[in-house]
Amino acid sequence: MERMTNTLARIAIVLALFALWEVLSRMGIVNPRLLPSASDTLATLCDLLRRASVRNDLLVTATEVLAAFALAVPVGALIGFLVAENRYFADVTKPLLFFAFSIPKSIFLPMFILVFGVGFSQKVGFGFFSTIFIVIMSTTTAVESIKVEYLTVARSYGATAIQTAWRVYLPSMLPVLLEALRISMIFNLTGVILAEMYASRDGIGHQIATWGENFQMKQLLAGVVMIAVIAIAFNEMIRWVETRCSHWRT
Amino acid sequence: MKPSTLRRLIVIALIALWEILPRTGLVPELFLPSLSSTLKAGFTEAGEYGQALLVTLYEVGVSMAFACGGGILLGALVGSLPRPRVLIMPMVSSLYAVPLVILYPVFTVWLGIGSESKIAFASIYGFLPTMLATAAGIQTIDPQLLLAARSMGATLTQRLVRVVLPAAIPTVLSGLRIGGALVIVGVVVSEMLISSAGIGYLISRYRTILDSPHVFAGVLLVLAMAVAFNAAIKWIERKCAIWQTGTRGAQATDDDVATGAMQPAT
Repeated sequence: MERMTNTLARIAIVLALFALWEVLSRMGIVNPRLLPSASDTLATLCDLLRRASVRNDLLVTATEVLAAFALAVPVGALIGFLVAENRYFADVTKPLLFFAFSIPKSIFLPMFILVFGVGFSQKVGFGFFSTIFIVIMSTTTAVESIKVEYLTVARSYGATAIQTAWRVYLPSMLPVLLEALRISMIFNLTGVILAEMYASRDGIGHQIATWGENFQMKQLLAGVVMIAVIAIAFNEMIRWVETRCSHWRT
Repeated sequence: MKPSTLRRLIVIALIALWEILPRTGLVPELFLPSLSSTLKAGFTEAGEYGQALLVTLYEVGVSMAFACGGGILLGALVGSLPRPRVLIMPMVSSLYAVPLVILYPVFTVWLGIGSESKIAFASIYGFLPTMLATAAGIQTIDPQLLLAARSMGATLTQRLVRVVLPAAIPTVLSGLRIGGALVIVGVVVSEMLISSAGIGYLISRYRTILDSPHVFAGVLLVLAMAVAFNAAIKWIERKCAIWQTGTRGAQATDDDVATGAMQPAT
């Protein structure tokens, strides 16, 4: 019951924000040319989604994001696993990884352009680069979250390496790993879209930057709403899986 | 070999490779200019970089005041009131998933390409994580302290100022660290995208004329800024930890926790 009211209240807040946006623009309190009304923006959004060029841009961005993700997650997870399992290696590399993790990645974007040019590989490369450190860090945390008792029990009952991996490591790590996937996707998406906005020929980020440069406010705001909705939807989807997975976990 | 020795060797080797690889031509100078030529490029144009640094620092300073001030204030407010917390926090954290870079074109249309749009963008960029961290930290406050204050008849303001804020200082500082790092990123990124001044602008301009040493000099400068900021926050954390725990021994463990603190920055 309480969850229901909370959800309703949240929907009400979102609707109120949209209503405020609509009123501000319609009443002329802010210049409608600078802030087209919410209804106009949503209408433009529907119009945009019907355009082949916009769909193509979305497809390009999605491919780049998925490629970077598919590369960064296994590689990062492997490195993170090795770091967490080997004590000496961990002592050596952890501070370095922490440092690499904490420095801003976006300033290296020009370097990717110098090396890869302006294209698909540069976006994937930068997405990979901005995602991998968070994957490494989270995998390390995930491995460290495994209770030693479980491992001891498994070992004393004579579990094979595969059994230990499948029955102990994976279930213990799963919730942390899902959280990691969610957060790395945020980083990945930001990285790819930033790369597209900075220098690109296609992709939705490039399109948004172009709309901004041409003062096409309706299209620009529609694009912002579109990306926000996609990002939030994906985020909530993984969160939903997360809660399902932690159900059976004590 | 001790881990720290090996680590130092790795760092030295990396720096040496940075100098050797471009010099021997194994990596083209365009991709990675050698360390010496990067530093030389930085020093010959020191005046230009200094000017840009001033612009960037000004923007970072103002945005940090907005992002951290607003984030800590709102985070404390939302975190300490149960009803809004349950209602709003999930919304804020799903908002966190949105790549905020896409808002920058909107700000350039509204505020022009001067400092204002950078400040607006970087403030928003740093605001959400600071608010999330502060609100989460407020929740970890020992309820006993609040109960004691309430039973002695403290008003809401008194509870906030005398109990919640002092108890939340460590969390607020970690929020400040995340938010501050993001503010630096936000300012530099927005300068790189569209602007007419600042370090990000220099990086972008030199990139378009393929002058890698100058690009790297700018990148090094931003890195130095980020590292200096981190060190400053750590220093404040240490100062605060002294009056909090009272003992030096406890402070050492605090430092370990601080180095393990997650700090994302794209």
